[in-house]
Amino acid sequence: MLICYSSPSCTGNLISGSLFPRECKLSLKPKKISLFDFNGCDSLQMVSSQKSMFSCMAVGSNVSEDTDDMYDDLFKKYGKVVFRRNDQKSASAEVDDDAECLAFAVALAKVASDVKAADIRVLFVKPLVYWTRFFIIATAFSRPQIDAIGTRIRDLAEKKYGRTSMGDSKPNSWTLLDFGDVVVHIFLPQQRTFYNLEEFYGNAKQIELPFENQQSFHS
Amino acid sequence: MIQPQTHLNVADNSGARELMCIRIIGASNRRYAHIGDIIVAVIKEAVPNMPLEKSEVVRAVIVRTCKEFKRDSGMIIRYDDNAAVVIDQEGNPKGTRIFGAIPRELRQFHFTKIVSLAPELL
Repeated sequence: MLICYSSPSCTGNLISGSLFPRECKLSLKPKKISLFDFNGCDSLQMVSSQKSMFSCMAVGSNVSEDTDDMYDDLFKKYGKVVFRRNDQKSASAEVDDDAECLAFAVALAKVASDVKAADIRVLFVKPLVYWTRFFIIATAFSRPQIDAIGTRIRDLAEKKYGRTSMGDSKPNSWTLLDFGDVVVHIFLPQQRTFYNLEEFYGNAKQIELPFENQQSFHS
Repeated sequence: MIQPQTHLNVADNSGARELMCIRIIGASNRRYAHIGDIIVAVIKEAVPNMPLEKSEVVRAVIVRTCKEFKRDSGMIIRYDDNAAVVIDQEGNPKGTRIFGAIPRELRQFHFTKIVSLAPELL
């Protein structure tokens, strides 16, 4: 299988400081979502509203007109799901995995809270990105504190859950611990406002934490 | 296949527009860089009024190449352009958002920060 991806004119005149929101919206265009699904071989599902937008967009762009027509024909012929990989897990297994990861994520957030990390957010990003389920975003106020949080989280994950992390081993201004289904971001306050991950994943569902969360960062 | 003197597009909002590779980080006399490799590059073109300026030397991670790359599943992917993301010495991206599609292999190469800022993953 050969996939040629024609990237949109991403590096031309689009780059400027004030264009972040527009870029964020761009990523939600149904055309791109459909391409992603097709290439990712997961499953090509499209609701009818998206389909109508899809054909509207095809009028403007003559480059992708042929492929759009081809997709329309496929939808007419095969219905909504064109291809489904057969190694997908069942819905109940997915729910079990989600619950297990949620428990793990909340445990990690609790540990971060014990070491006085501020403004801890646990986001359920599975509906938005396929490569992970939960994001934990926390603020620490110094590099030694980042080191302490990272070490505690790694220890707990290894001892209690038997998971090891990929990502930064040294404290960094943006320290990332990648446990596969749970990704932990520990920022210094300046970096947290600079990268603004919460806004980028603004559509993600925020998980309520069972413990007292320190909100001193915003005050 | 990125080698010294190759011009690359910039796939983030760091303020650089075009880079030229001047060195590949890795072995002492490495010829080509591929997706996920770090290169030293010079900024050939920059957006005005942004922190990065022309003729500045930066590090960058290659995220798209015209040269096709293979996956174990037999899938072959090639992009229309050579593109890179500007990073600092610690590996944090200099921009705050990434543009265009990015291969999922970057996560295995420990660039999860770039992956988490990207709008879509192939």
